Amino acid sequence: MMNAARYLDHAATSWPKPPEVPAAVSRWFTEVGVSAERGEGPGQQVAHAEVAAAREGIAGLCGVAADRVAFCSGATEGLNLALRALLRRGDRIVTTAFEHSSMARPLLALARDRECVVRIVAPGRDGGIATAELAAALAEAPTALLALNHASNVTGAVVDAAAGCALARAAGARTLLDASQTAGLLPLDVGADVVVASCHKALLSPPAVGFVVARSGLDLAPQKQGGTGSSRALDTHPIEWPRAFEAGTPNTPGLFGLAAALRWRRGVDAAGRLAAARARAQELATALNACPAVDVLAAPETDRLPLIAFRHAGYEPAEIGAIASMEGFTIRTGHHCAPWLHRHFGAEVSGVVRVSPGPDTPSETIAAFAALVAGL
Amino acid sequence: MGQPDRYSRQRRVAGIGETGQTRLREATVLVVGCGALGTHALDALTRAGVGRLLVVDRDVVEWSNLQRQVLFREADAIAGLPKAVAAAQRLGEVNHEVAVVPFVAQCSGAFLARLPVQPDVVLDGTDNFHTRYLINDWCRSAQVPWIYAGAVGAEAVAMAFPVDGPCLRCVWPDPPAAAEVGNCETQGILAPAIAVVAAFQVAEAIKALVGAPPTRGALTVDVWRGRYGVADLVGPPSTTCPCCARREFPALRDVDVGVATTLCGRDAVQVEPARGAVFDLAAYADRVAPAVSDLMRTPHLVRFNADGVRFSVFRDGRALLFGVADLLRARALYDRWVGA
Repeated sequence: MMNAARYLDHAATSWPKPPEVPAAVSRWFTEVGVSAERGEGPGQQVAHAEVAAAREGIAGLCGVAADRVAFCSGATEGLNLALRALLRRGDRIVTTAFEHSSMARPLLALARDRECVVRIVAPGRDGGIATAELAAALAEAPTALLALNHASNVTGAVVDAAAGCALARAAGARTLLDASQTAGLLPLDVGADVVVASCHKALLSPPAVGFVVARSGLDLAPQKQGGTGSSRALDTHPIEWPRAFEAGTPNTPGLFGLAAALRWRRGVDAAGRLAAARARAQELATALNACPAVDVLAAPETDRLPLIAFRHAGYEPAEIGAIASMEGFTIRTGHHCAPWLHRHFGAEVSGVVRVSPGPDTPSETIAAFAALVAGL
Repeated sequence: MGQPDRYSRQRRVAGIGETGQTRLREATVLVVGCGALGTHALDALTRAGVGRLLVVDRDVVEWSNLQRQVLFREADAIAGLPKAVAAAQRLGEVNHEVAVVPFVAQCSGAFLARLPVQPDVVLDGTDNFHTRYLINDWCRSAQVPWIYAGAVGAEAVAMAFPVDGPCLRCVWPDPPAAAEVGNCETQGILAPAIAVVAAFQVAEAIKALVGAPPTRGALTVDVWRGRYGVADLVGPPSTTCPCCARREFPALRDVDVGVATTLCGRDAVQVEPARGAVFDLAAYADRVAPAVSDLMRTPHLVRFNADGVRFSVFRDGRALLFGVADLLRARALYDRWVGA
């Protein structure tokens, strides 16, 4: 059984969810049972209302109209679809070493197929992606796309996305923002053309819920075709956003969970909750920095997300993971699907240990974990 | 084409004859494990003309195997060929009339449940008690006789478990603790000790297939001190044995030996111990110390190198294996060095 007080992997997925979330998923199974937009009946009306509420909620976070929100199975699907729609043959793309594999892998694969040039901006000494470095990379050559992870899922370092998007726009480039780590924590209306995120982290939804938000006027071409519920055309795919981008049976129970999570968030002090998680992360960083054998990976403090990555001179990350798990802690070790950043830190062989507390993590948990590491 | 003289000497043995030879040709034998015991037994069963041999092993041929595992050549070790595959190739050259079916797999409950044909006899060629209790329970549930054998150093034990006698659990209700059992890595193994008990297994298998009565009791040998005997361990099936008294088969209920998972990003695998296993890290470190290199102890773990792989073994019996990516191989190394 998982130990909620010792769950320190909120950057992977938030847990436990507010009870309203599983209750909403359960309600779909017991009281609704059907998809919105598929057929007529009392269930469809409820389904339609809940999915619309989820769409409104995400639109509000991103500062767009609800009809600019397409749902998908998560950031991996969203980024794959968005990149396919955005990249053209011979394009130059500027991106960062913070990118998650869900961006890095499809980006490199598409770049090979479509003969694109990819420029990867490295972090500076402080572990951050400097706006000046983004500006320099954009100025080197005509650029079609800035593909930007809003924050590193390894170190918690946040990129100034608003500044990056403004620079890209001035340079004539489109912007694709991966907000998986920041959705639910930081503002997403930063001027990006396309915002993609998973909702099971700080947005507190069940897994397999994500979105692609495309700004008004940018109707990304559908990258998968199929059933869309209703359309006048019989054998051609509709092009109206967002439905064109959502082919296939939607994850309605997951969207019920998202709608409930967004509703729950409106009733709580989101800023206070983020501050609490950050305070726990800071406590851990302070304690770990006092251990001579521990090397905490650098990240700028501005807006930093509540997660800490470190290495130990005497123990492999996987060994620390095993020892911590025997004490009931849930943490993450390895490469965190961030190949470029690990290469940057020289951690491509063993990876690092990542600890990400949540708003409800007790200080005692942080102290106990720090003591475990200090006692190694 | 069959050669008429091929089995002439065997047919002349009282108790075999034409009928016995036909029964052998129509029989299927499952050999679990293709190490020293398994290769000795497979060679003899193939030459004896057993019609179909199923052989399951998850490991690959290594140089340290060649001293006693009679079917393998240097080229197999260089190629790192799976043992089951290398054995099947060699046996095909020995007797083309025998169908040898190799399975590169963990012998699990799921594996046994999916066998293409039910064997008439099962031979134990394993190196761990977890699998032996699994074989016992499966054979009891399927009413198949099986023949146990094991060897460490110069000593070896073997025993037939016919369907109408006591089973392994009747004789030894629980598997011995991992730390109590020596193995080939820590105590070595002398090939003739293997050969004695493998010959016993093959003889018992042939007898079972032709309908001759089995040897009752455990063969115990010490080829160094020159002691050979059959210990009387046989009574009726135990009235407290879950298999024989209640027809419950605990090993078939178990999840397989701990779960093995590949670690992110590098050649490393985590193997968890079998459910309910009790582990004493300090005793384990003492036992393994003479056989491994670069042993290091901390309160949390024991690290060492063995078989070209770096092990980190933890208090609860789980282990990280660095330098191996294949899950089956990692499981085999775990069973060999940490214990089942």
